[in-house]
Amino acid sequence: MNFKKIIPLFILLFFAVHSNAQREIANIADSRLQIKLPTAKGDSITLASLKGKVILLDFWASWCGPCRSSNKKLVKLYEKYKSQGFEIFGVSLDEQKKDWEKAIAKDKISWLQVNDPRGSWNAKTAADWNISVLPTSFLINKKGDVVAIDLEGKELEKRIIDLLQE
Amino acid sequence: MLQSVPLIIYKLRKMKKIFFIALIVLAGLSSQAQFTKATLQATGLTCAMCSNAINKALMKVPFVESVKADIKNSAFHIVFKQAQKVEIDALKNAVEDAGFSVGSLQMTGNFSDVKVENDKHIKIGDAVFHFLNIQGQVLDGEKTIKVVDKDFLTARQFKKISGVSKMSCVATGKAEQCCLTEGISADTRVYHVTI
Repeated sequence: MNFKKIIPLFILLFFAVHSNAQREIANIADSRLQIKLPTAKGDSITLASLKGKVILLDFWASWCGPCRSSNKKLVKLYEKYKSQGFEIFGVSLDEQKKDWEKAIAKDKISWLQVNDPRGSWNAKTAADWNISVLPTSFLINKKGDVVAIDLEGKELEKRIIDLLQE
Repeated sequence: MLQSVPLIIYKLRKMKKIFFIALIVLAGLSSQAQFTKATLQATGLTCAMCSNAINKALMKVPFVESVKADIKNSAFHIVFKQAQKVEIDALKNAVEDAGFSVGSLQMTGNFSDVKVENDKHIKIGDAVFHFLNIQGQVLDGEKTIKVVDKDFLTARQFKKISGVSKMSCVATGKAEQCCLTEGISADTRVYHVTI
């Protein structure tokens, strides 16, 4: 585990650093937080390319039970707000591409999906974002700033509505 | 005092003989095995594989070389550092510190002619083992044993396996009155295992 790499990220993500001069917030334009991974079709998309939308960055895996039940709720949420500029960027930590594809079909996921083929807890993306448990999600505003972590249900929906109006 | 050369040679030979006898006795008392790897399943209220905590905790154990999550079998494959002392309880403690418990633990090691008997204690390396539910046999080469102590199994499985022995050490994992007659000192950790 590379602590030198994680500590600054931790600070970035969880404490917006308050100093007299500036306030630093995790932003998807930050090269350290870049995610560029293949979709099921094989082409790759970057998280940064979604800037301008309200994004839910969702880390999950097909073998993660709590993630699968969360998917069901996200399907409804996505249907409701996608036309207003809401996007979900799912990052799967599945080692087997097939398992990932099956789960997408079964859970009727229509949002953007990429897979980190390095798999499970060896996935670099998971380390970059300091993920220690699945599911973990980040809510990102139109400016690309991470504004909330692990919101669920009504709290998540309310925040999305607010962010869409910003 | 001067001794004749033949006498010195005679004494040396005698010492050598004693030394060899002592070596044989010692080897007989303590059988040898070196654990090389383990397969561990964790259980808990939440999805054990969904957390990186167990992975991280196991990596911190000094004799652990690598840990790989096996999603399909909900297990962790652990490889130990070469020729290092492996303490089985340290693996359990790591899992518990991460907020989970051990559902199963299988230890694989290289054994050299270790004679084991059902419901008998044997010292292997530094640790005392008590084999349950087995046929008497000689362990030689790479073998895998399963730890069946309390906290290494689900409660139901433990209840089942602990019923096979009348010895009280099965319940506590420590040398009790039952083991003292076999020359094991009181309160020694006794690992209960099966094959």
